[in-house]
Order: sequence, then C-alpha cells, then structure tokens
Amino acid sequence: MSGGKEKKSIRGSKAQGWEEAGSEFYQESYPGDIDNIQRDPSKLATLLPSKQRVATNRRGRQTHQEFKTTRRRNSTLTATRTFRRGSQYQEIQVATLPDLSENLINESQTWEEIREIKAMPVHMAQKRELKNQLQNATKLRLQGFEQIKWKRRKAWQKIMRKWSEYLTKMELWRSSLKKIEGNFGTGVVAYFVFLRWLMVLNLLIFTIIFMFIVLPQLILNEPKDLPCDLNAQPELKPRWISNVNNSDNGYYEDTWYYPNTTVQCCREAYNNEIKHNRSDFSILHIVQGTGFMEKTFLFYGMYTNQIYGYDPLANSQQEQDKTNKLSSSSSDVQHNSPFMYSQKDDNFSIDEKHNSSSVMMSALLGFNDNSTSTLAADLTNFTTWREFFNNLDIYYDLPLAYIIVTIVCYLYTLVAIVKAVAHEFKDRLVEGEGQFYQYCNLIFCGWDFSLHNEKSAQIKHKALYNEIQSLMHIRRYEFERNNRTRDIMIKLYLIRMLINFFVCVILVICGVVIFFLFNVSFMRLEPNFETVTRYRSFNVFMSKVKKLTSGEETTTDVDAQFDILFFEFLPYVAIVIFNLLVPILFNYLIQFEQYSPLFVIKMNLFRTIGLRLSSLAVLLSRFYYLITTRNEDSENIECHNVRYGTPQCWETFIGQQFFKLFIVDFVTHIFVTFFINFPRALIARNMNNAFSKFIEIDFELSKHVLDVVYSQTLCWLGTFYAPFLPAIAAVLIFFMFYIKKFACLVNSKPSAILYRASRSNSLFMIILLFSFTIAIIPVVYAIAEVIPSRSCGPFSGLNSVWERAIVAFNKLPVVLRDIIFFFGTSSFAIPCFIVLILFLYYYYSVSAANKHMVQVLKNQLVLEGHDKQFLLNRLSLFIKQQQEYQKRIQRQFYDQASTTTNSQQSQSQGINIDTIPPPLLPRAPRSETGSNDRSERSSVEIKHHTRMSKDIGDI
Amino acid sequence: MGNTPSQFTEEELRDYEDLTYFTRKEILLAHEKFKAISPEKVNHNKNAKLSMNKMMSTSELSCNPFADRICQVFSSSGDASGDCTFEDYLDMMSVFSDQAPKSVKAEHAFRIFDFDGDDMLSKNDLKQVIQRLIGFNNQFTDLDMEQLIQNILEEADLDDDGSLSFAEFEHVIDKSSDFTNSFRIRL
Repeated sequence: MSGGKEKKSIRGSKAQGWEEAGSEFYQESYPGDIDNIQRDPSKLATLLPSKQRVATNRRGRQTHQEFKTTRRRNSTLTATRTFRRGSQYQEIQVATLPDLSENLINESQTWEEIREIKAMPVHMAQKRELKNQLQNATKLRLQGFEQIKWKRRKAWQKIMRKWSEYLTKMELWRSSLKKIEGNFGTGVVAYFVFLRWLMVLNLLIFTIIFMFIVLPQLILNEPKDLPCDLNAQPELKPRWISNVNNSDNGYYEDTWYYPNTTVQCCREAYNNEIKHNRSDFSILHIVQGTGFMEKTFLFYGMYTNQIYGYDPLANSQQEQDKTNKLSSSSSDVQHNSPFMYSQKDDNFSIDEKHNSSSVMMSALLGFNDNSTSTLAADLTNFTTWREFFNNLDIYYDLPLAYIIVTIVCYLYTLVAIVKAVAHEFKDRLVEGEGQFYQYCNLIFCGWDFSLHNEKSAQIKHKALYNEIQSLMHIRRYEFERNNRTRDIMIKLYLIRMLINFFVCVILVICGVVIFFLFNVSFMRLEPNFETVTRYRSFNVFMSKVKKLTSGEETTTDVDAQFDILFFEFLPYVAIVIFNLLVPILFNYLIQFEQYSPLFVIKMNLFRTIGLRLSSLAVLLSRFYYLITTRNEDSENIECHNVRYGTPQCWETFIGQQFFKLFIVDFVTHIFVTFFINFPRALIARNMNNAFSKFIEIDFELSKHVLDVVYSQTLCWLGTFYAPFLPAIAAVLIFFMFYIKKFACLVNSKPSAILYRASRSNSLFMIILLFSFTIAIIPVVYAIAEVIPSRSCGPFSGLNSVWERAIVAFNKLPVVLRDIIFFFGTSSFAIPCFIVLILFLYYYYSVSAANKHMVQVLKNQLVLEGHDKQFLLNRLSLFIKQQQEYQKRIQRQFYDQASTTTNSQQSQSQGINIDTIPPPLLPRAPRSETGSNDRSERSSVEIKHHTRMSKDIGDI
Repeated sequence: MGNTPSQFTEEELRDYEDLTYFTRKEILLAHEKFKAISPEKVNHNKNAKLSMNKMMSTSELSCNPFADRICQVFSSSGDASGDCTFEDYLDMMSVFSDQAPKSVKAEHAFRIFDFDGDDMLSKNDLKQVIQRLIGFNNQFTDLDMEQLIQNILEEADLDDDGSLSFAEFEHVIDKSSDFTNSFRIRL
C-alpha cells in the first residue's frame, strides 16, 4: 500500500477528527480492531462502503493506482461533461483527487478540478493545499482548438461570476429580506420574494409596452388623416343637440350628436370633446383618471389608429383613382368614396377590405383645423408624397403593434407563471411520491437556519412541536373522525351544507349590492343617462348634481365635488370593503364546520377567491351591458349610443374604472395597515393581558397573498385599456413591499402555523395562475368579439380588435399565408392531434413504468439490506469461530503451521472485503430521477455482495 | 493592515474566491461580519481563532438550536471546542449560502446531526435532533419520542439497521424541496 503514505503526506495536518473516523480507521487500523467488531457485529456494518459518507470515501481512497490510470481519464471526462450540465457534484470529486501518479492531466482538467474543490467538505487549509497541489502538478499544455475552447470557457466563467456579483449588488431589498427572514422564517420571506418577482414582471411588461406602443406614439409624427367630411351624405351632418331640459348655462352647445357618421367624424368629435372639456387640472382627476388624465397616453383612447410613415391623404387619392377606374360609381362622391363604401356595407368582406385596407386602417386621427385648407395643397403634390412613401416603404403600424404587444405581454406572463409553477410542481411531484417522508422532512428540514430572533425561534420551536404532535396524532384524529356516530355525522353534514349555502347567499348578496351601487352611482353621475353622453365637463356634473341632490342653490362647489367623488368611487369602495369584511365572516363560520386545520386554510382561501372574483365578474358584466347596448339599433350607426349612456370611448372608460379600483385597493391597504392594524398592534403590545391575545394579529400568509394577486388580476384585466397600468402596478407593488413589511414586522407576530417555503411558493403561483386564467377570459372576449368604440383608439371603425390582426394576416405573402392557413386546417390538425396523443401516451407509459420500477427497486433495496445484515452476521460469527478455533489451536499447539496460515489468509481476505474502495466499484452516476439512482446504487450493492459471498465461499 | 478592507493579499482573495461559493465582495463582507464579533482580536490577526461562545453570540447563530454543532463541524481545530477562525467562518457561510448545491449542504447537515461522529445517525442522534428542534421547553413523552423515532426510521431506514447512513440521509434530502431553503443563512 504505497498510496497510503502518499496520502498521509497529502493530508499534512492529520488532526482533523471527523474525517479520519471513516476512511483512515479501517484502512490502517482494521486488523487491530477486529476484536471490537467481534463484540458488536453491527459495527462491522458501519464499515461497509455503502455506509460511508460518499465524498469522504472517495477522497480517502487514493491508493489504487492500477485502476486509476485507465479509469481516471474516463471519470474526468464524465465529470466535465456532467459539470456542464451543471447538476452533478459528487462524482466530480472523483476527478478532483490529486493523483500524483497520473501526470497526464491537462490544464483545462486541472482548472475544472480546482473549481470543484469548493464542493468538498474539508477545511480551508486543506482545500488550499489541494489547490496548490493541483496547480503545481505538471500538466499538459493544451494545443490548438482545445486551448481555445478552454480559454473561452474560462472567460465565460469569469463573465458569469462578474455578472452574478453585479446581480447581487443590484438585488433589491436584500437587507429587508434578511430581516424578515430572520424574524418570520423562509415561508414568509418567500412571499416577499414573490412580491419582488411580480414587480419585475410588471416592469418587464411595461417595458415592452413602452418600447413598442408608447414610444412610437411619442416620437413619431402622426400622419394627418382625412378630414371629417360632413358633406359626404346630407343626412350624415351632425346636429346640435337641442336638449330637452335645456339649461341656460350653455354647456350643451359643446355636445354634438352624430346620427350616422364616419369614423373620422367620431374621432374628431371625441378629440374636440377632450380638447375643450378635459383641460382643467384637479387632484380629483388624478385619482379618477378623468379630466386631463384622459388626454394622456395613460389610456387606450389616445392612441392613434394611423400607420406611421404612411399618408392617408395621399392614399385616399390613390384609392379613389383605383375605385374610379374600377367602377366609375358616383362622381359626386369625391375623395372619400372608399370610406363611404366601407361605411355603408357592414358585411364588407375581408378580401375587399384587404384591397382598401390601407384606407380602412388609416381612419381619421383627429380634427385638424388646417387639414381642409391644406388639403388642396396636398392634393397638388400628392404624387410626390406618394412616390416618397412608396420609395421609402418604411412604416410603423401602431394598431397592429398594439395587438401584437398585447399578445406578447400576456404570453410572456403566462410563460413566466407556468415556468414557475412547473418548477414548483416538479418539486411537489418528487416530494409527493414520498408522502412517506413527512417525518423526515419535518425533522431534518424543519428548522430555519436563517432565523435569528429569539422570540420567533421560540415560536418556531412551539410550531414544530405542534406540527410533530399533530402528525403523530393524525391517526388518532382519523380514528375519532371515523368513530363519529351517525347522528353527529348527519348533524355535521347539515351544518356544513347550511354554511355553504349561507356562503353562497353572501356571495350573491355581495354581487347584487355591487351591481346596485354601480347603477346608483351611474344614475347619479348621469342624470339623464338616457339621453346624453356620459362625457362632459365637470361643471355640467356639478350643475346636474346640484339639481338632483337638493335643488338648493346654496350648495358649494366643494360639496358637489365631494358628492361626485363619493358616487364615482361608491362601487369600488363597496368592493374593497366586502373584500375586507366578508372573509372575517367566513373565518368565523368555518369554525362550525369542523374541518381539519389544513383544510380550513384551503377552504377559506377558496371562498375568499370566490368573493373577489365574483365582485369583479359583476363589475365586468355591468360594463359589458353598458358597452354592448348600442348594438340594438344597428341600422343607425353612431359614434356611441347616446341613449343608453354608452361612453364615447368605452375603452378609456373601462381603463379608468380599473385605474380607480386599483387606486382604491391600494389606498385601503395603506389605511388598514397604518390606521387599523397598527393601533391594534400597539394596544396589544402594551396591554399584555387576555384581551391583547384577542386583538393580536397573526401574519396570515394566504390573506396577504390574495391582496397582491387581486391587484395583479386588476392589472391584467386593465392592461389592454390602460397601457400604463403595469407601470402603475409595478410602482404600487414597490410601495406595497414596504407596507407589507411594516404589516409583517411591526403589526404582526409570527404565525403559529408552519409555512414552508416550497409549499407557500407553489400556493402563490397556483393562485396567480388561476387568477390569470380568469382574467384573460374577458380580455380575450373583448378583443375578439366586442366592437371597439368608433371615436377613439387604434381600432376605431373595426368590428373587433382582432379584425385588425386578420387584415394584417391577409397582407402577408400568399405562400406564408397558405402555410399558416394550413396549420388551421383539419389535414394538419388531425395528424398533429394524433401524434400528440401518441406522445402523451408514450410519456404516460414511461412514467408508469418508472413508477413501477421505483417500487421494484425499493423492494430490492430493502431485500439487499436484509441480505447484507444476514451476511454480516454470518461473517462476524464466522470470524468469531475462527478466532476461537485459533485460540484453541494455539492452546493445544497442534498442527500449528497449517491453521495459522489459513486464518491469516482469511483475515486478510476479510480486510479486502471492506477496503474495496468505491473507485474500484463502478460509480453510480447520480441521475435526476430517483429510480436510476437507486438501481445503480443497488447494483453496486449487488456486486458488493456477490464479491463478499465469494470471499466467504473461499474461506 | 488595520481597518482597511485590504487585510488580505490578492493571492488570498483569489484563493478564497476559488474555494468558496462567494464573490470577492461577499468575502470581504463576511470578513466584516467576522470582525464585528470580536473587533480587537480580528484587527490584530485577521485569521484569529474565536471561541465557540463568541461565535454563538452572532445573530445568525444565537437562536439556532444546532449552533454548537455547526461550530464544531466547521471548526478546524479538530476537537470539540468549536473554535473558529475566519477561514472556518468563511467555509460555514459558503456552505450556508444560496449558491452551495444541495449535496454539499446535505453532507454538512449530516455531520451537524451526527452528534457522536460515528458517521451514522443513530437513535440517540435522532433523539437529540428532535429535542433541540422542539426546544427544551417542550417535551415529548418517552413513548411519543420512541414512536417518532420509529416513524422516522420506518420512512428512511431502507436497510433496517436501526440507524441512518449518509446514503439514506441524502436520499431523504434529495426528495425534500424545503431543505435548500431552510438550510441557508443569508450573509
């Protein structure tokens, strides 16, 4: 054993106790310890390779050169390969052994090995020694391409390290997270990390929106659209509204009424409206998103429907030429004949639209006073314009970009969430298979090593104690449950049914109340809801409100404004209040249902989600009703349905509503945290009696998660109508972090429920995914089905937003179109479907087989364990017998020579068994799946046993 | 020398960078923290050996029921005193950091839980672990404790030898998604 000495010299400081325990012990002092082993056969078992700590072993045994010269190369290769996959660490340690006999290592291998030293469980001094050794060892210089490859890898590594350093520097809220973690443990900190994740997600989404929608709108010059042509058809002229209850304050003069108008005229009217009536600045406008806010890019309405770098004026002329050529239809219809065409025929087919799509798409942007006067000038040199743009052929299609960006944003969100969910799900699956491991998980992973607060440590102890206790008594609980008498069971079921019914009733009541309040507030704000548009200046509101509320002339403006504010926000305040109060009621009710504690949390969560979503659903359905009523008289195409009070630009209106709800939600969080819970916590801290117990607040994770997910849902719902909403959401989540931190650190005490990081993470993600799916449904429906308002936004004049995408699709080259079209046909779909099903079945059967294999291997492992035990017992018995025999022989001095050699032989063989180092045995490659791992491991053991039994047989 | 962050030579820093999961910044931060435990001593000698009691007074370890075991495991002095030098401290934080892979953490966790150092988690070891976990204010009855240990062994002891080997322990850890999260101390 020449290697033994070498190893000793390598190890230098031999004092390190823990490491010697295993490897040194039986390598060098085994023969002397044989008496120990005799006395206690189970000790022998600890010496088996499978019982050793893998890494220690591998390092310990460096003695077998014969194998290494060949094996080493391979193992190093596999090591590097596995390393790049970035998962395996154990077998790399094989490679990191400083092998002095092997001089053929090249630079890159050494480098890899040095990098792997850090995974070794040895002290720094030893690590450094190892590193020096590796560095000083003679090594081959890499040549040519290999050299380049290695250099590249090194450089990449360096960049990655720099990057990670940079990232940690950039990491937001690092110290806050540490503080929270120290006080509340990893489960709660996972929530804050989740908050951060959401904020980054929102920021990213906003960046996309900003880059492709807002920025072009800001920097590019809007092309002038065709003017509103009121002479086109006599009956299309706008009329002044001669209002019935015409007030003397003349505001109504601003209100135009278009009985049957072109898109251009509608846009013009809307712009006029905005220009004149939305210029006053007021704080109220900021929180409501009305007034001057409506003029900003915050909302859908202000985005153009123009294609940048494309002049509709020129094109209309072009189109006109075409139509004139095609059919010299009506000579009196001048340059807007294509418009009229598109207006008249609602069932205008897509192909035709494609032909004149350029014109269709380039509906009028806004009123331009000069446009009529410049028209003549434009017409004179339109040929040059046209040539210019035809030659340039660069344009930016904002409406199309709007659709694509929306789709990209939602897809990105979906992918991000699904990725996170899948990650959690995988963990869950791996864990879920081992429901057997619940005790082990609790014991070995129960303690949060990050806790550093005495009080929370105490609570953690208590929580763990309770958890273990309840786990132990779960059988008792089940027993109790099964032993409930029939009467009690019936009673319990009745109670549960009653409470569920009651919960449903509460939900319905909430919905009805919200609906009612929404109507009330709408009625109040729209005195003649029936006849006039919703939009008008604040003064009109005031006068109306004045009249309606009392008729007194004395009410001041401020009063009226507050009145308006109150009614504006009434439904939203109601929603938020319901969200606050009803869960408390649910919490109270669930006590009577006697569910298991874990189920209580789930049930409560489920009901609360139901509440929040139902209130949103009511709101949305109310909006829908408001928007779609105009379809009733489709004969009479107007800008918007004046009679039913449909907003002029309903998209902006909805954007505003979500904006308001968002703000109210946020303000409530601030209010509840600082003005309700904070005093509560203060009182609880200073009272210190039974009453304080009652008002103390636990940090209920699920409730806080719901808060955030809810506001995120609002953001998703509103993003299409208010492109800045993600930015607002990001900012508010930023503040929310601090609010929640305050709620957590100052207001609450650690919860007595154990929150595990992994479990709470998957909880967040699943709730988020669920809300996302719910939120996406109305948005998709609105995009695909609802007619966009004619007076504003990128899609005015179309039948649906999606139509714009279809038009763009039709502009694609025919080949591409055919290819994409082919994907939609059944000749593609059916085979694809079948193939997918086959794949699904394949993977299903693979997983089933794996599951079976795991079971088999597990059984095998147990059997092997028993076999090993049995063999070891036999072995130690045998050794004992041998020694007794020896003693007897020695005593008798009978036939000395032959017996002693025999026993020595047997002893040395015995040593061999146990000192077979793992490098000799094929190393089990640790793979991702547990089954392989096990199979390899057991195969090692099988080999081991066969070897052992052979040895015994020899003896 | 003195208070400047450059108590280390370039060579040492590079070594530390190569041999731990930390970046240079974090190494210096770790040293700051180490210095904060006992400023005079560390100022005098950057790699001074601090006693276990000192180590356990840090906020990271003060509440940890396994603090003494952690010190002992990472201590390079080789006895049960648990005195730590800066390098030991760095090792410790490196293993507890986010970057350290599960296997490395598992190995150290095993050693922390292995009170008698026989490379097996015996019933006694488990008992101590449980007792420390639930705190000394709470007690299980002997029967419950026995039952609990039995349950653990039933789950994890694949070869029925009445104690857990590292392989068995690692197997449990492999299947736990919580482990990396809980076996972590933020620097």
